[in-house]
Amino acid sequence: MKLFEMKMPLSEALAIAVIGISVVIMILALIAVFIILLSKAVRLVEGLVKKKVPASPAVTPAATQSVPEGINSGDVELIGTDEKTAAVIMAIVSEKCGIPLNRLSFKSVRLMDNDEKGGNK
Amino acid sequence: MEVLYETLLDVTWSQVAMWAIGGLLIYLAIAKEMEPTLLLPMGFGAILVNLPHSGAAGVIEHLFDIGINGHELFPLILFIGIGAMIDFEPLLTNPKLMFFGAAAQFGIFFTLCAASLLGFEINDAASIAIIGAADGPTSIFVAQVLESNYLAPIMVAAYSYMALVPIVQPPIIKLCTTKKERKIKMTYKGKTVSKRTKILFPIIITCIVGLVAPDAVALIGFLMFGNLIRECGVLNSLSETAQKVLANLITIFLGITIASQMKADEFINKETFIIIILGLVAFVVDTFGGVMLAKIMNLFLKEKINPMIGAAGISAFPMSARVVHKLGLEEDNQNFLLMHSIGVNVSGQVASVIAGGLILAFFR
Repeated sequence: MKLFEMKMPLSEALAIAVIGISVVIMILALIAVFIILLSKAVRLVEGLVKKKVPASPAVTPAATQSVPEGINSGDVELIGTDEKTAAVIMAIVSEKCGIPLNRLSFKSVRLMDNDEKGGNK
Repeated sequence: MEVLYETLLDVTWSQVAMWAIGGLLIYLAIAKEMEPTLLLPMGFGAILVNLPHSGAAGVIEHLFDIGINGHELFPLILFIGIGAMIDFEPLLTNPKLMFFGAAAQFGIFFTLCAASLLGFEINDAASIAIIGAADGPTSIFVAQVLESNYLAPIMVAAYSYMALVPIVQPPIIKLCTTKKERKIKMTYKGKTVSKRTKILFPIIITCIVGLVAPDAVALIGFLMFGNLIRECGVLNSLSETAQKVLANLITIFLGITIASQMKADEFINKETFIIIILGLVAFVVDTFGGVMLAKIMNLFLKEKINPMIGAAGISAFPMSARVVHKLGLEEDNQNFLLMHSIGVNVSGQVASVIAGGLILAFFR
């Protein structure tokens, strides 16, 4: 290889670069549109199926929305803290430990008083 | 005794240099924990094949012939494991993140021009450019299919820079963003995706990419096959095996096999040095591209995006997402960007495979 001895004209290289990145963007845009359509279609089909099936099990919508699939909400006792803060704390613990949330079990999330130190919760 | 002297006298300075490079890779793997799964086998392999009259060279070359030379078996099988590890949910809940993955491939095409300008043959320039995909298996696959003469330096550069993401990316991100921009908080809506969508996603993506960029179908197909095993819900044992045992086994062989290409007489030259520099350029431009797209999008969006998440569009998964998350916390300890950056990072994985397929379509 001889340095700076071009094997392809700059104009051609630039054209390939522009076409290349444009095609990548176009394919990904196509996939993004497809994801949106797929999600809508699946939701529609699932909605139709649910309508046909008699609504026997009493499941509250709030519970189904807040708990992701495969994650057991369990019975976390919240003491002096709200659900949102508890969710953030649990997510941080999962991230820091490198253990997925569905494999962790939390017993309680408690706001500590200023004079309380340590405490392995 | 004579044999011993002969072997000692046959040691060349370039072999000693390769021992030093091997030692450096092992040091980075152990002391700095930089991609130890690959840098350690590569480092040890570099020492192994550079011993005079090395008896190990034959077996390692055989591994290379069957695992990489023959239909790029190792990188493709590794993709099954990677696919099984990836959760596409953050991307499925927010598909517009796809665009960041695309923007962060800009380094590939910039480096293609740069390598071509520097005088590399077209197939070599394209193979060097793919270092910017920040994706080891894709780099190996493309360089091998294009029959590049610089497979070893390309692989070393690709894996080394992936390991160096926490060092390479933060200064570029900080240079491209203001403190105010880095403090932008993004709300996470926490939407869930149905199981049906998760199952259909890998199948249909394979079909779309296969129809639009057939050269990428081996890469995307194996990646999505691994993901389908994960998401189908009835193959948990296979999914665990793919994520752990299979990925680990292939990684062990891949690292030491790559080393077969690190022989002193082929590795120590000015081209290797230039490729290492070009690899760095590719990573820097990738990061720049992702951040800049986010900044441009912010001009039109009501709800602003933290431009740092654009940098996670390189497919160094999940390291790049973690880097962005940490930078967000550095600016504001309540700024949690992880879910957004993981989504961008996952889209980068898909984008890098598509870019690899395009490069193959252009230059095969």
